[in-house]
Amino acid sequence: MFFHIVLERNMQLHPRHFGRDLREKLVSKLMKDVEGTCSGRHGFIVAITGIESVGKGLIRDGTGFVTFPVKYQCVVFRPFKGEILEAVVTMVNKMGFFAEAGPVQIFVSNHLIPDDMEFQSGDVPNYTTSDGSVKIQKESEVRLKIIGTRVDATEIFCIGTIKDDFLGVISDPGTNA
Amino acid sequence: MAVLHLSSLTADSPVHSSSSDEFAAFLDAELDSASDVDEVESGEAEGEEEVEDEDNDTGDGDGSIDSSRSKKRKIELIEGAVDPQSSVSRGEPAETSGASMALDVCTHPGVMGGMCIRCGQKVEDESGVAFGYIHKNLRLADDEVARLREKDLKNLLRHRKLILVLDLDHTLLNSTRLADISAEESYLKDQREVLPDALRSNLFKLDWIHMMTKLRPFVHTFLKEASSLFEMYIYTMGERPYALEMAKLLDPGGIYFHSRVIAQSDSTRRHQKGLDVVLGQESAVLILDDTEVVWGKHRENLILMDRYHFFTSSCRQFGLKCKSLSEQKSDENEAEGALASVLEVLQRIHRLFFDPERGDNIMERDVRQVLKTVRKEILKGCKIVFTGVIPIQCQPENHYYWKLAEKLGATFSTEVDESVTHVVSMNDKTEKSRQAVREKKFLVHPRWIEAANYLWRKPPEENFPVSS
Repeated sequence: MFFHIVLERNMQLHPRHFGRDLREKLVSKLMKDVEGTCSGRHGFIVAITGIESVGKGLIRDGTGFVTFPVKYQCVVFRPFKGEILEAVVTMVNKMGFFAEAGPVQIFVSNHLIPDDMEFQSGDVPNYTTSDGSVKIQKESEVRLKIIGTRVDATEIFCIGTIKDDFLGVISDPGTNA
Repeated sequence: MAVLHLSSLTADSPVHSSSSDEFAAFLDAELDSASDVDEVESGEAEGEEEVEDEDNDTGDGDGSIDSSRSKKRKIELIEGAVDPQSSVSRGEPAETSGASMALDVCTHPGVMGGMCIRCGQKVEDESGVAFGYIHKNLRLADDEVARLREKDLKNLLRHRKLILVLDLDHTLLNSTRLADISAEESYLKDQREVLPDALRSNLFKLDWIHMMTKLRPFVHTFLKEASSLFEMYIYTMGERPYALEMAKLLDPGGIYFHSRVIAQSDSTRRHQKGLDVVLGQESAVLILDDTEVVWGKHRENLILMDRYHFFTSSCRQFGLKCKSLSEQKSDENEAEGALASVLEVLQRIHRLFFDPERGDNIMERDVRQVLKTVRKEILKGCKIVFTGVIPIQCQPENHYYWKLAEKLGATFSTEVDESVTHVVSMNDKTEKSRQAVREKKFLVHPRWIEAANYLWRKPPEENFPVSS
């Protein structure tokens, strides 16, 4: 789920940037530093949408660096247990398949794939129903439900299921192409 | 249950909230009642039960027990795979049907990133076998591995395939560090443009890992042909980044190996390779490797390969004094090299395994038996006398060459009589050696047996003369 929130961060800036572009430098460094990172509490920081305020700088003794407290608005993405997500399949193997929803990697084990879908090895490994009407392979889009999440410093990893009503393939690259 | 939370989340989600504290507070509240989303908050995971209890209470309070029952059961079903503990601790024996109980108890068949792959619960258990090559944090319980293998075997046999585990170095290719390239072979590095096409297309300079790699002649044809008969794994004692780099050279299209690349760090025992990390039934696995000792428990699956030494450093490493192929500016013969002959063997084994004439159950067939039978035919009809090979204090049946020849189907004699076909000797001065020459028997060096083992056919005897 996405949230638009305000976060705060103390930014250290090298004295060489002190000039009329100070604010721009601060913002571009902030973007470089935080976009794409994860925190357990807020999830994945997708993008900074604006700067709320830049506080008073504090000169660090000895180094000349200055610390600015910056409040910024950003869009964060955090998956929740029980949430329904749409994701793109990245890898299929006999254990199950991996899918990605933006920065989040999700694994769906074959225990949580409907029983009538069987693994087919070959050039393009896939899970297919016995009548061949539904197929999950690389690049397929699936709707799945999150049943477990784990947030690390740089990635969010989830366990998902498609063994439930209204879950499963929503588009098949084979038929769409 | 989960859906309820979702809707509550969307209803009052702080999309326009201007304070992160507010959001954090909201999240905390949500987490208290919802889930153990991450380790930081995992201590609060118990919260879920409370909410459910409330749910039940209101249901009972209505007095409509039936509706509350069905509602609860529905919740259980939705949630059955999600959180087994909460329903156990709910304390409502009369209402929990057998079916939902069965759903609730999860055996945790595997763990990925600290979560059960089936129920999503946090699992601290470090048991089972790690399958780091499939995903860095994956562990599977022994039962699950057995289940996957069983399922996989049916699937494989239906597609008339077996499993082939391939070693990299000295089997499919030869690599050297750039720093170890000798002066005599530096032309490979410096005069790349003038190399013949056949060599250039199989020679790779990988600056970012400081290596130069030469693929064994015939390897592309080999992989193409073998992929139609086998599901293939790479299993190397090299490091993972190296293994992946090599897989890319061998399989640029990514169609042969997919995620089936096993490196040193994936082995469960140090300095050993094992089929325990291969998700395939041992009775359907063949291994191609140039080193026998690493396959302690699986020698019966192993087809030993003649080592491919292209670079000088590789020869030196194995103590070979002769000039390397690179220095001689030559290479293994494409059509008669080790890979071509082993491909024939593999095709033969595959044919015998899936022979429609065989009456037995296909699920019970064992490729190791087939391998043994095929191997026994190599020196079939050869009756061997050893002379000057086996030390006098050694029990002949236990000697390396005796055992090897026996595996290849040869029979033995102690005296040179009518039926004997070959005299294997290190020395042409022994009585039996002279007798062999007199009676026009083949007199060969013991390497003849080793060559037969590698070539999978009786090698020409005249190439293995016995020197004095």
